[in-house]
Amino acid sequence: MYFFFQIALSGIATGAIYGLIAVGYSLTFMTTKALNFALGMWVMMGGMLTYSLHVQYGLNPLLVLPIVTVALFLLGIVAERFSVYPFLRAGSDVWVLSTLAVGFLMIDFAEIVWGRNPTPVPPFFGKEPVYFGSVSILPQQLLIIAAACATFIGLDFFYRKTLLGKAFRAVAHSGEVSSLMGINTRRVQALSYATAAALAGIAGFLVVPLTLAEPQLGTVLGLKAFAIAIIAGLAAPRGILICGLVYGAFEGLVSGYLYTGIRDILGFSIMILALYLRPEGIFGRAQEERA
Amino acid sequence: MTAPVQWLFGAVAIALLAAIPVVTGGTYYAYLGIIVFIYGIVAIGLNILSGYAGQFSLGHAAFMAMGAYTTAILSKSLNTIPFFAQTGLHIWLGVIVGTVLAALFGIVLAIPALRVRGPYLAMVTVAFGWVVWKILQEWVAVTGGDLGISSIPKPRIGAALLDTRSFYYVVLLFFLAALALQYRLIHSQFGLRVRAVKHSEIAVASVGVNVYRLKVVVFVISAAFAGFGGTLFAHQQNYISPDNFQFFSSVFFLLAVLFGGAGTMLGPVVGAAVLMLLPEMLHDFDKYRLIVYAGLILLTLYFLPKGVMGLLPEQRSAAPAPADAMEEAVALPPIRGAGLAVEGVTRRFGGLLALSDVSFRVEPGSIHALIGPNGAGKTTLINIVSGIYRPDHGSIRVDGENARIESMHAAAQEGIVRTFQTLKLFGDMTVIEHVMIGMTRHAKAGLWDAFAGSQRARDEASAQLVEARALLKLLGISQLENVPANSLAYGHRRLVEIARALAVKPRILLLDEPAAGLIAEEIRALAVVIRRLRSMGMTILLVEHHMDLVLGVSDRITVLDHGAVIADGSPSEIRRDERVIAAYLGHAHAAA
Repeated sequence: MYFFFQIALSGIATGAIYGLIAVGYSLTFMTTKALNFALGMWVMMGGMLTYSLHVQYGLNPLLVLPIVTVALFLLGIVAERFSVYPFLRAGSDVWVLSTLAVGFLMIDFAEIVWGRNPTPVPPFFGKEPVYFGSVSILPQQLLIIAAACATFIGLDFFYRKTLLGKAFRAVAHSGEVSSLMGINTRRVQALSYATAAALAGIAGFLVVPLTLAEPQLGTVLGLKAFAIAIIAGLAAPRGILICGLVYGAFEGLVSGYLYTGIRDILGFSIMILALYLRPEGIFGRAQEERA
Repeated sequence: MTAPVQWLFGAVAIALLAAIPVVTGGTYYAYLGIIVFIYGIVAIGLNILSGYAGQFSLGHAAFMAMGAYTTAILSKSLNTIPFFAQTGLHIWLGVIVGTVLAALFGIVLAIPALRVRGPYLAMVTVAFGWVVWKILQEWVAVTGGDLGISSIPKPRIGAALLDTRSFYYVVLLFFLAALALQYRLIHSQFGLRVRAVKHSEIAVASVGVNVYRLKVVVFVISAAFAGFGGTLFAHQQNYISPDNFQFFSSVFFLLAVLFGGAGTMLGPVVGAAVLMLLPEMLHDFDKYRLIVYAGLILLTLYFLPKGVMGLLPEQRSAAPAPADAMEEAVALPPIRGAGLAVEGVTRRFGGLLALSDVSFRVEPGSIHALIGPNGAGKTTLINIVSGIYRPDHGSIRVDGENARIESMHAAAQEGIVRTFQTLKLFGDMTVIEHVMIGMTRHAKAGLWDAFAGSQRARDEASAQLVEARALLKLLGISQLENVPANSLAYGHRRLVEIARALAVKPRILLLDEPAAGLIAEEIRALAVVIRRLRSMGMTILLVEHHMDLVLGVSDRITVLDHGAVIADGSPSEIRRDERVIAAYLGHAHAAA
């Protein structure tokens, strides 16, 4: 039983990362119906930047976090302008490929700047596990769970209480009507894309001490986060966090009791099955088609 | 280009391809040719799915892997059996089984994945490709893990081993066959539907096509092409490993399709050839592979939205001009309009009661208008009758029978077909093609006729063409037969919507604000068309704001307000009804 809690708990930390990334998909989906297909590569950029600033330049993580967040946010604004908006405006869905192309550029950029070799990043608060009874957890994992929860609460607050957040929700509900009401739909779309990028950056910052700093660090993370967003429902951000945590625990248990190789095969198969049973997601409401 | 010139070009191209191994000597160019053809076959399959039907897949390398691993394992294990060793049949058995297995996996993936729309399918196929790739690595006992499978039997016919040059010709033949299949498929009834799905799934459903099933079938065909390419690849290379079927291979194929020209006959082939030969010419390609791909993707999307083939002057194979004499002879079959009864229909959206216990009857062969202020529930009602929404309570009867309207295509099967207020036409497809799609429901020729190019399919197509032209004539748009819908004037687009709906041979026609956006003259012409349809026997339910049109053509009018029927009667009764006047014009006006 101790083993069970142990692996479930560390799984939850990974799950919080998935949740952060997955909410990014949901943000852009709700406002534009477009997704950043390369969100995993943005996570990688966050991770590599963290590696540079923290390990190479010795900056305090508390300073690194805002820098990474802002940098990815700004990059997100630029990328949206050039790789999404032109196609979205033309009513085409080739942004599938253009966002992917941006991701490829990031991987190659990272390979050129940082090299292909994985490099470890030391945990921000040491390696001594913290004990709760006999169950232990790494400080980094605690940080991840705390930071992810804080980010979520912040986002939720932003959506419900601020004017801009309400504008986001209005655009998500109906872009056409919102623009009639004087909401700058275009700006909301760009901001949501950039926010997703910033969340990916935060995820990269948090996760890089657990993985290694390398150009491929985000690829599978991004894919899994997508699976979670689909299982929970792209239009249900709160459900996505829950699903992320549960999925993380599930993954931990599968690797703990079965073996790691089968973990992702199972995970993605569940996604495909979930799609079949509930295309709108567990927490999503069925969307009526409109004629 | 005229048809004979095209044939000439084709013949010269084939002759040139056939000459490559002879002229170049050695095996290097023949080898490159084989790979280009194999990739071409996979890209053609993907083009049918992504180029023509508009469904992106980024997992086609997985289907290729399916084919390759199946034939590798099968032919290797049969290689020691004397019968196979002598006849070489195990190779071709492997090719067939591999292709079939890839198609079967196509079904397994398509059934869940196609429940999401368009772009999201792409992400699901990414995950699928990843799962397959991972399984290839992990299932060491069967797949050999990272090391892959080596010494796969060489391709052979009978006892004769095929060297690179002879195999070149075999693969060339397969490649040409794949092109021919693509041509047949796209130029069939089935192909019309496939191309239309790219532009509007809902409109394809409205003419009675089960869009979900159509997409699954297309996906499976596409997967079979990829699997087939994979089997050839395995026997050509003699060695396969998970590395051959990574995510980037899938990206390669989709890029080939887009770069060459999505939804063109030769685009995927051109794309596969260029992308395949490019790295052969570039040093250090591996180092910059992603940059090259990313750059190509962005350049293509920005500057070549129609791909390389889009640079060629556009050519439309104009159907032969209608022979007037023949057309006179064709009279449209009489229409047996059905009666429609809406009984106690209630529909809620969350807390909003959109329709509350709505009942009314539409007499067979009459024009019945449904009017009401904005938000009265007209659209909801027409969406229920046409199968887009299900009612919470109540039923729809057609000629007194309870109609099973569970989906749009089911509604069309019941004889109820609609037009759309916000036009849903099929992009650059021609007017006559729109009408031909409408005839799909009554088509007898199926997918196999399309592939085989059977006499039945051809007879049916020419019969349909005659009928389609008669319909265009009825609507007065014969001269627009070969004009792409997206270059039509607005008023003509409305008429094309009606023509497409009529082609389904409905017994009840639902017109959803057909006069919206039309100028007075066009509205008068529309009124003529609507009356003519009634005189032919059609039952018409007209949802409309334009009161002159409604009062001018209707036999009976039902008025909705706040989701309930407030009046039902002849135009003159409705004109005098106080409640209607109040609902429409406000109480002050009613009092005046």
